[in-house]
Amino acid sequence: MNPIGLYAVGLLGPGLEDFESARPVLAGEAPLTSRDVQIPPPGLLPANERRRTTATIRLALKVAEEATEGADRSQLRSVFASSSGDMDIIDRICDALTHPEPVVSPVQFHNSVHNAPAGNWSIATRNPAPATALSGYTASLATGLLEAATLQLTEGGEVLLACYDVPSMETFAHVRPIHHPFAVALRLGPPEGAPWRLQLAFGGDVPADRCRVDELEALRDSNPAARALPLLEQLARGTPGHVTLQAPLGRSLSIQIEP
Amino acid sequence: MDPLVITAHTLTSAAGTGIAANTEALKHGTSGLRPSDLDAVTLETYIGRVPGVEAITLEGRLAPFQCRNNQLAELGLRQDGFAEAVTAAAQRHGPDRVAVLLGTSTSGIAATEAAYHRRDPQTGVLPPYYDYQHTQNMFSLADFVATRFGLSGPAMVISTACSSSAKVFADAQRFIAAGLCDAAVVGGVDSLCGMTLYGFNALQLVAAQPCNPLDRDRNGISIGEAAGYFLLERATADIPGPRLIGHGESSDAHHMSAPHPEGLGAATAMQQALGRAGCHGEAVDYVLMHATATPANDRSEARALTHSLGTGCRAVGSKGLTGHTLGAAGAVGVAQALASLAGGFIPPTAGLQTLDPELDLDARADVEQRPVQRVLVNAFGFGGNNCSLLLEAAP
Repeated sequence: MNPIGLYAVGLLGPGLEDFESARPVLAGEAPLTSRDVQIPPPGLLPANERRRTTATIRLALKVAEEATEGADRSQLRSVFASSSGDMDIIDRICDALTHPEPVVSPVQFHNSVHNAPAGNWSIATRNPAPATALSGYTASLATGLLEAATLQLTEGGEVLLACYDVPSMETFAHVRPIHHPFAVALRLGPPEGAPWRLQLAFGGDVPADRCRVDELEALRDSNPAARALPLLEQLARGTPGHVTLQAPLGRSLSIQIEP
Repeated sequence: MDPLVITAHTLTSAAGTGIAANTEALKHGTSGLRPSDLDAVTLETYIGRVPGVEAITLEGRLAPFQCRNNQLAELGLRQDGFAEAVTAAAQRHGPDRVAVLLGTSTSGIAATEAAYHRRDPQTGVLPPYYDYQHTQNMFSLADFVATRFGLSGPAMVISTACSSSAKVFADAQRFIAAGLCDAAVVGGVDSLCGMTLYGFNALQLVAAQPCNPLDRDRNGISIGEAAGYFLLERATADIPGPRLIGHGESSDAHHMSAPHPEGLGAATAMQQALGRAGCHGEAVDYVLMHATATPANDRSEARALTHSLGTGCRAVGSKGLTGHTLGAAGAVGVAQALASLAGGFIPPTAGLQTLDPELDLDARADVEQRPVQRVLVNAFGFGGNNCSLLLEAAP
């Protein structure tokens, strides 16, 4: 594929509050000291809408806001990639359905759709541009990146990719073990003048790259969105490099990175 | 944009299994809706249930995928020679050059609903046979279809509620244009489950009687299920078949579950689809509306049509046949549009008694036999997620 530009990164994970402050950890210059994850309330949403948001929506919007800081949020296309969507709501609704006279919360139901973060993002930013929501199971990051890059190359302009998964509820813990929230966002655009140039190649079946930092490698498999960590390490190092991500169906997505 | 050619397609819905049965129902306005007879649901409503889904058994490497959504997916794949066409395309282009881009809103959640009834009473743990990855996870549908055919091109499930299986057409166009694949299996599968029936009921959007889109007395949706698939390839002069000539997508940026009152986002999507095709509104024979039959949805969409194509625009609502098939709605609409292009008729709006005069549309209760060259198909979803597709008859 032709090169695309990467303009900004958003990040939230255990001990990783945002991309800028996490740079030393990602570059291997500082240890990962904390395991805490605090998801802040979405600042861009009106109070009325903010009250109705879920952890999934707040997680996605946090990294989306970070990656679009200072950019024109009212125009860019967006891709929201999540393996499992809102596991919390799925748990609550499936539980409610076991009762003899099931009562499903209307707000929970409309927030149950996989594109709930996408819808809230478009409302928060008053952005009429197309928004999509997708899944590629544990390869949702590579799936979303391929979708976002294809959008940029074929439609032009800037494209926001947000990839996130919330922890599984207790009922799901053994069938879908995700133990902490993790989210990453990339703001893509034309390659000219971008801080990083990315060149993607889809295909082959090369194994995914591991993290260089052991503590980060321990996080990489713990959440589908954390598959971004080897890419984030390379970006934080500020040197040219190459990262391979797992794509669906046993394929791989390789990314050539040039600062 | 460079058009795509649809070299094979199929549809299974409550109105029929396979294209021939769906075309007959479409032409004559024969509804497939019936009073709800689902075990897990006690609501008084009509549903579009596909017969024979429960009889499908997935075997061998497909066995882990067994759930209502993938059973319906398999039933759909077996119709109209579609499976053979995909196999031939994989041989022609190579299995790694065929993408699998499918839409669903709830995937195999019925399997999770059933498993919740069988949680361990002490620990709350789900039963050991429950397979999350291959049933409820959103990606399950694309995984199932790709695994069945041994395809290894780009694969994803788009899940943007009721626009899901329309947006996959736009994705296929971009993926092929970007050189990521030479063909794409697109479409959508959504199946009946407690979550959507009780969820839409909680939003007070479900009708007690069969839904009647565009009618003065419409008062809500009937929920249905369907599987529709299309094989898309680059349109070259030597390949016969109908064309996808335009697509448009937008966001309302207004509300999670209510449409923009003036249909602003819907109008943008339709205008984009026309613009990409280089067409004016007059080139469209009719609009196959999303028309779910809620008072607000049909009103908002009608305003979008008036705004984009003028008053008195020829329009058809088809959910009286199949129910609202949610994530499969776009695929159902495209398959119905193709039936009308091939058969030379403008379908009636099934269930229409008295056209709502406020809508300012030309919708009819009877079929009209006449050549049809272009149809605009709409699919809109929660989150204000809109998609419009422009289809053209085979040259």
